[in-house]
Amino acid sequence: MHELSIARSLVEQAVDAAADHGAERIDRLELEIGEATHLNPDQLTFCVETVAAETPAAEADIAVTSVSPEGVCDCGWSGRPAEIQDLPMAVPDLRCPECDSRLELTAGTECRLARISVPETDDTT
Amino acid sequence: MHMHTHRLERSMDRLVTDLLGPLSLHRFGHSHDDGAADEDDVLEQFRKQARNVHEEVVHDHDVSCVEFLGSTGSGKTTLVERLVERAPPEETIGAIVGDVAGDDDASRLEAHGVEVVNVNTGKECHLDGSLVADAVAEFDLDSLDRLYVENVGNMVCPADFPLGAQARVLVVSTTEGDDVVRKHPLLFQACDAAVVNKADIADAVGADTDSMRDDIDEIAPEMPVFETNARDGVGIDALSSSLPDTPHAHTH
Repeated sequence: MHELSIARSLVEQAVDAAADHGAERIDRLELEIGEATHLNPDQLTFCVETVAAETPAAEADIAVTSVSPEGVCDCGWSGRPAEIQDLPMAVPDLRCPECDSRLELTAGTECRLARISVPETDDTT
Repeated sequence: MHMHTHRLERSMDRLVTDLLGPLSLHRFGHSHDDGAADEDDVLEQFRKQARNVHEEVVHDHDVSCVEFLGSTGSGKTTLVERLVERAPPEETIGAIVGDVAGDDDASRLEAHGVEVVNVNTGKECHLDGSLVADAVAEFDLDSLDRLYVENVGNMVCPADFPLGAQARVLVVSTTEGDDVVRKHPLLFQACDAAVVNKADIADAVGADTDSMRDDIDEIAPEMPVFETNARDGVGIDALSSSLPDTPHAHTH
């Protein structure tokens, strides 16, 4: 439901980055979205396309990569948590497989602009 | 030691880990300082705002700060009213109340002597760190002992937006059905304590509070659960005593 405000931030970042490099348009936006967020990749893509209209990113391809949850435990265990069964969405099981304590997620809660592609320019450093 | 301190430290750890998370080596043209990873993650920007609120309210001004969230009608405002009624008379309490529109909740708390800042989010479905920061600026923090933040009635969006409180307390009620936990797993994972309100009418509405507790235990291990009947003040003391102390209760 809040994809629009997130999309605005993402497009702003991309446009700023392109401007820093003197690029007049953005060909591709790559986004990474954690699976343990409420962000819906399809909705976010739609919102990014909408917000990007009349910006240098208006024609950009948008690629979204889902980021799987990763967790760590105080006991030293780390890795990809199991998924809780029989839920309406993918939800990481936060119980440590080694010691039953609660895991902390180190990945899976992000939403970032991973990369943008712009036309080649002469002044690349 | 209270549950919230522990949980808070853990959530802070999680935030720090995010800052050090993997960067794409091929990232094109972002800021080149060490904060690049931070600035990249849009959700992290909101979490950072929340950390700033936490720093200002809790650390700089010693104000105890708790957020309540949950559906419209779950009983958040009633619960806060009961907590306010239990507070010692010398305690100064403020509240930030988020609603899509209107000031009904704010008026109820004002009637209890609470200094209230009402935040109408308009088309936004949740409070975020910057809205709370703006609201915090309207208080004289030096005079406050306690600040309650009541989020917009919504069981989805607030999960991604912490507000900087010492504890996030998720209020659900038996009238929402005993499958409410399984329907909103990520929100339970994002919170520090759960209140199952309207426990007195669980049988009448066919809700099994034991199965709700089992679901919470599966989805959010170690999360404390409080069964309440906020309307009649039942179960409030247990919740109240688990919340962060006000500075006056501390021995500095």
